[in-house]
Amino acid sequence: MTFSIIARCPRTGRFGMGSATFSIACGRRNESVRPNVGISKSQAFYLRQTDVLALNMLQQGYTPEYIMRTLEAADPDFEFRQFGIIDRAANVVAYTGKSTKPWSGQIVGPYYATYGNVLAGPQTLQGIESGFLRHPDGQLELRLLEALEGGRDAGGQAADGKRWPERSAWIRVVDRLDHPEVDVRVDLHDKAVDELRRVLEEFKRYQDYYLERVRDPGTGIPEEDFVAALK
Amino acid sequence: MSFSILARCARTGQLGLGVASYSIAVGIYCDASVRPGIGVTFTQGNALPSNNRLALNALAQGWGSEQALRQLIENDPSFEYRQIGIVDREGGAAVHSGRSLLGYAGHRAGAGWVVIGEAIAGENVLNAMAEAFEAVPPEDLEARLLAALEAGRDAGGLAGKGGRLPERSAALVVWGVRDYSDMDLRVDLHERAVDELRRVYADFKPTAAFYEERARNPRAAVSAMTFAETLRNEQRRAVT
Repeated sequence: MTFSIIARCPRTGRFGMGSATFSIACGRRNESVRPNVGISKSQAFYLRQTDVLALNMLQQGYTPEYIMRTLEAADPDFEFRQFGIIDRAANVVAYTGKSTKPWSGQIVGPYYATYGNVLAGPQTLQGIESGFLRHPDGQLELRLLEALEGGRDAGGQAADGKRWPERSAWIRVVDRLDHPEVDVRVDLHDKAVDELRRVLEEFKRYQDYYLERVRDPGTGIPEEDFVAALK
Repeated sequence: MSFSILARCARTGQLGLGVASYSIAVGIYCDASVRPGIGVTFTQGNALPSNNRLALNALAQGWGSEQALRQLIENDPSFEYRQIGIVDREGGAAVHSGRSLLGYAGHRAGAGWVVIGEAIAGENVLNAMAEAFEAVPPEDLEARLLAALEAGRDAGGLAGKGGRLPERSAALVVWGVRDYSDMDLRVDLHERAVDELRRVYADFKPTAAFYEERARNPRAAVSAMTFAETLRNEQRRAVT
């Protein structure tokens, strides 16, 4: 039970993904996003090695389509898997195996894909997509957040008529640098997507201050003074 | 305004680090700070995220931890504002505390581990972290790293001009032989981030193996909901 969105920002070329799930600490899977290469995010009955393998193949020059076929040929349990892959040219594929838990499915757009399993229904993915598309000129991390919120508000995850909470959530955005530009996580919380908004909004207030401190630490003010000035 | 421990487990060869900070989302700076079979590194004080890959690339080329550290220092005009730790795959430890760090800054190093702290209450924080880490060598590396963070917190933790500062974020990262982490937990924004990290860890630890097994053998898997309920019942029984 998870819903995710992967995307390449058509304006800036940045890659980003957002994910929310009942499981704890979904954001530990930082191997799923590789700067200047792409994103491969697997879920449902996922093997973490799959994302590493898919990104290695992307880096070698294979297309997402070909990688998907190769993964299928090598995996006797392929029908249990769900994943999406996007490359630098915004070629994007998604796959939802028939043995993933219902409701499961995917929407593939021109530069993004959203997919999930153990969802309330297709409305969860529709909520994600419309949230993502609401502000097409917005920053990718904020669009991803609106996508996750759209999925939450449309019913999120459910099984046997019972709603399951999002207990962890994650947004990661990379640009040209090797290390992520935005990587915010909620690992265990009763309302992880709500909490992720709080963390991301707070992070955005600090982002320039932290960047400047990295670049030129001699000129900055102490963080406690910065925090005092925020209030 | 952070205190951290970097270490190699002599028993398993795992590499990992624990970090607690007044800055928010400090775990973002742990990106690529560990590379299996190579080493673990972290730069704090004024973070320099590109240092992680540079340090590990230097180790991977064959430099030892001391030489890698020297290269990081010579590569960075602001090195006096940084605090850097490196532990290589043989447990070789190297550490640098720049002279321009704010407040009390210092470090400790031993066989296979480094403790670094800046804007901390004093040297007792460093000593407490080192003692806690060394006290339980048979434990899992992540448990030892977390115990060290808790000891640092309990020994006074972070200190600014106006007294104690809270740990607002924390991270716990351990890698083994695989292409992805064995454990990677974070608290990004919390009033008591080390306490919260313990809570997340306590819930995550028993589920980690479940998710791996589920993927390897999906046809026989129990659902995540069933597993979560079983776990809750077990925990309830353990309490009563």
